[in-house]
Amino acid sequence: MLMKRKRLIMIILIMALLCLSACSLTDSGDDNAVKIASVTTSESKIMANMLKLMIEHDTDEKVEMINNLGSSVVLHQAMINGDANISSTRYTGTDLTGALKEEPIKDPKKAMDIVQKAFQERYNQTFFDSYGFANTYAFMVTREMAEKHNLKKVSDLKAIAKDLQAGVDNSWINRVGDGYKDFVETYGFDFKDVYPMQIGLVYDAVEAGKMDVILGYTTDGRIASYDLVVLEDDRQFFPPYDASTLAVNELLEAKPEVKVAIEKLIGKISTEQMQKLNYEADNNLVEPAIVAEKFLEEHNYFEAEEGEEKNE
Amino acid sequence: MSDLNTFEQFFYYFSENGSYVFEQFITHFLISIYGVLLAAIVGIPLGILISKYSKLAGFIITIANIIQTIPALALLAILMLGMGLGKSTVIMTVFLYSLLPIIKNTYTGINNINKDLIDSGKGMGMTRLQVLYMIELPLSLSVIIAGIRIALVVAIGITAIGAFIGAGGLGDIIIRGTNATDGTAIILAGAIPTAFMAIITDVLLSFIERKLDPVKRHKKATTPTVQSLTE
Repeated sequence: MLMKRKRLIMIILIMALLCLSACSLTDSGDDNAVKIASVTTSESKIMANMLKLMIEHDTDEKVEMINNLGSSVVLHQAMINGDANISSTRYTGTDLTGALKEEPIKDPKKAMDIVQKAFQERYNQTFFDSYGFANTYAFMVTREMAEKHNLKKVSDLKAIAKDLQAGVDNSWINRVGDGYKDFVETYGFDFKDVYPMQIGLVYDAVEAGKMDVILGYTTDGRIASYDLVVLEDDRQFFPPYDASTLAVNELLEAKPEVKVAIEKLIGKISTEQMQKLNYEADNNLVEPAIVAEKFLEEHNYFEAEEGEEKNE
Repeated sequence: MSDLNTFEQFFYYFSENGSYVFEQFITHFLISIYGVLLAAIVGIPLGILISKYSKLAGFIITIANIIQTIPALALLAILMLGMGLGKSTVIMTVFLYSLLPIIKNTYTGINNINKDLIDSGKGMGMTRLQVLYMIELPLSLSVIIAGIRIALVVAIGITAIGAFIGAGGLGDIIIRGTNATDGTAIILAGAIPTAFMAIITDVLLSFIERKLDPVKRHKKATTPTVQSLTE
């Protein structure tokens, strides 16, 4: 009797475990399962979620997310290794000097053309047209600092640069072509100390007064929330960083409907719009997944606009 | 948002992102469960095996011990080189970490059974398989569950680190908190459910463990008079 009860309990336990294991973690074994990779920035996560929702809305695909990758170099590696087949945000300037190891190009259109061509030829990947926003690097200071020293352009920093501590993105400092070394050459001055930091921390550092000047991204929501002054790049030093989706051709050929869904996002998000979305995520504690969902629902997943285009 | 204190922000966060946190909670839980389940499927038979062939015991337990000494982040990184990014790598890491407690507890549980019971079983004409199913496994079940319990609590912690290689789960929310402007509330929103999950599974499994302990249950069922005396 006792033995039977024990066996019953064991059977129940095993059944419970088996039931749990039936709830699959989206591992369908499909070679072309959609896997979207993103880096740690809110922007990348918002766009990754937007792509996910667009694809899930328009097709029957189940999308897997790979979050928190370290940098665009890691993204590139993940795409090549087959860990992911869509990158949520890739920037022309970053990939030109990073993944493609080309010389930096200052003209946004030319840069886009070369990047698109090179990814097709070398990696068999499609670099889509831009979402419509550019996330360029820019030097920023607090409003207080800008007024005190009358700072408007990067060149204005020259007189006081030797007393300044600068916080910069850790992937920028050693970049060839548009990194720190080239910056010093172009502008003819360097800072007292340059601290490579994780990009999310630089805005806090300048706000807290730990850094005097920082190198941040133009679409960051914290520019508005901390009232930072973006210094004009008066010598056209930073190349354009137009943001786009990058996807593996194999996936796009196997599932053309995925391509259609991705293309609906092209040109739909301006830099100001992105700043607002980032602000929602960074300052208003809304998860990127929710920000993306709200935005797409507001715009009805871009269905109406597609209809208009068809009528034309 | 800055006019709210951390506590208020925390609740505001949940009201805005409740569904997302729940989704990540489930993902996190499933990754942990999968790893431990796989380890149980491999570890329990292995534990039984080494309790029968004691020469193997030292060797296998040493290997499991060595795996346990590797820091979680290092093991994740090593496995990532071979298996790539994503959930399966984290499940593999959890699996490797769960092996030691499960193997060791199965081994100890079976070895600690009173040899007289096994002898009497054999004396009754039981086969080796019958001895295993009718005496050894039922008597050591609570110890084995205790091993699974340790493994699962450790697994929930490891899964949180797994967010670094893109597996998702509650660790994702914690990492986002470290990147956000004023991320204290977000960090808490990731950390508190993680701790909560560990505590709940621990309590639940310790309850099952107690239920399955034949000695404790037996006392309750057959000797109520003794209990009332001690009270």
